[in-house]
Amino acid sequence: MSTDIETPTALLPGEMEVASLIVSALSLETRPEDIPPDEPLFGAGLGLDSIDALELALAISKAYGVQLRSDDERNHRIFSSLRTLTAHIEKHRAR
Amino acid sequence: MTGPEGCRLPLTARPASDVLCWRGGRAITVGRFLAEVAALAARLPDRPYAINLCTDRYRALLGFTAALSRGQVTLLCADRAPQRLRALAARFPHAHVVADGPVDTALPVLRPDSASPPAAEGETAPAPLIPAEQVAAIAFTSGSTGEPAAHAKPWGALVSGAEAAAERFALRASDGPPAAVVATVPPQHMYGFETTLMLPLHSAAAQVAGETFYPSDVAEALAAVPARRVLVTTPLQLRALLAAGTAPPPLAAIISATAPLSPALAEAVERAWDAPVLEIYGATEAGSMASRRTVDDPDWLPYRGVSLHPGGVTVAGLGPVPLADALEPTAAGRFRLLGRESDVVKLGGRRASLAELNRLLLAVDGVEDGVFLAPDDLESNPAARLSAFVVAPGRTAEDILSALRGRTEAIFLPRPVVLVPALPRDGLGKLPRRALLELRRAAVAR
Repeated sequence: MSTDIETPTALLPGEMEVASLIVSALSLETRPEDIPPDEPLFGAGLGLDSIDALELALAISKAYGVQLRSDDERNHRIFSSLRTLTAHIEKHRAR
Repeated sequence: MTGPEGCRLPLTARPASDVLCWRGGRAITVGRFLAEVAALAARLPDRPYAINLCTDRYRALLGFTAALSRGQVTLLCADRAPQRLRALAARFPHAHVVADGPVDTALPVLRPDSASPPAAEGETAPAPLIPAEQVAAIAFTSGSTGEPAAHAKPWGALVSGAEAAAERFALRASDGPPAAVVATVPPQHMYGFETTLMLPLHSAAAQVAGETFYPSDVAEALAAVPARRVLVTTPLQLRALLAAGTAPPPLAAIISATAPLSPALAEAVERAWDAPVLEIYGATEAGSMASRRTVDDPDWLPYRGVSLHPGGVTVAGLGPVPLADALEPTAAGRFRLLGRESDVVKLGGRRASLAELNRLLLAVDGVEDGVFLAPDDLESNPAARLSAFVVAPGRTAEDILSALRGRTEAIFLPRPVVLVPALPRDGLGKLPRRALLELRRAAVAR
């Protein structure tokens, strides 16, 4: 089913790519372009949980060669939004 | 060994020079630990309950044992959400908090690090003696709604369980070189509490202090400690570790719990890492009760001190405990798990009642009919989710989700939410499971 919600902020190409990865890796209902780039991915916001964190870490490592770590302030800084996650991936990506 | 009432058991009976913990590549001895426990205990506020939120296992252990030596009950809670802390504070008046991260609470908060400067090497204190019947901790089982149920853990039962686990997994001093336990489960979860706080006190194993969640954390933590290495984890984490493809350093054993491990995954891990995969059967109410090597035996061997009876188990130091699972005795003192007796589903180590979830769904504004469905592979696929079929004209799946969010734990939120014109109810108004599975198949294929 599709919704007619306007995307408030257009996603940058890198963000769109990571958003698509999130949606496909976690089988979400949301369309990638509907993920608000500045809202939390976990808890409120998109409502992801620790099972998703692990699945997502795996998908990110396969796609970009970036390993997520707990001492990277898990669920806080990097996962705080699509934008911060994308920035982290772009900074550390190996491929 | 638990004795008669009035019996007192030491905090630990390990020699002062034993390694109790590996932290940042450095060993913390039992002697230094006992000195730090005494120092922290002296600083604890005079309150009956301690909410221990520490993520670092050494700080969690210090907080737990300092509270114990002061006669305080530790509340095992990994959730630092302000509303959860407020609910705990209302239910257990005059609690205080032991934490190592930011906490939003009006309760007094003590940070083990700042409160207990490292004792000088060689400085030590005697191990306190704790009455076996003293309630050391309270663990909680989450309901899908309402107040979590509290389960009191007397010190004698915890010691008895740790000794039985040490014997079962060959972690006693007489079993070989001391082991280091790397774990991916929080110390506030009963399984993590038993294996990473109680086991180091009453076996010859050391805990590894740092937080390990992602595959790269686990690989680093394992590489930083000497053999024998033991990994304590869950089916979900094992699946991710195997998929990440990084071979860990040689392991003595991998221990899994919280959900049944599929024999195929157990075999794949054994083959890839050349180490036995052992499973613990446990429940928050009773603690760890039995174990098996998944590739060898579908049946579970009870721990010493655990015996079966109809409807549940009897646990040393705890007495009879009813269980949600049906257990059937098999050959050689083992038993087989026959599945759950109720409508309880378990996801990511948390439990919910399907009837309760359905009630929540029907209470959502605009929902005319609806039902949650647990997939067939719920017990074998660690990443499995519930789905929901909903009749709600004019509402979107996102509307339904946002209404449910906050009313149940995130892990039970349906994925997907499938909007349908009507549910396939039969003449009696019942929903045949086959018809629901058919709906789900159609939805997934969409």
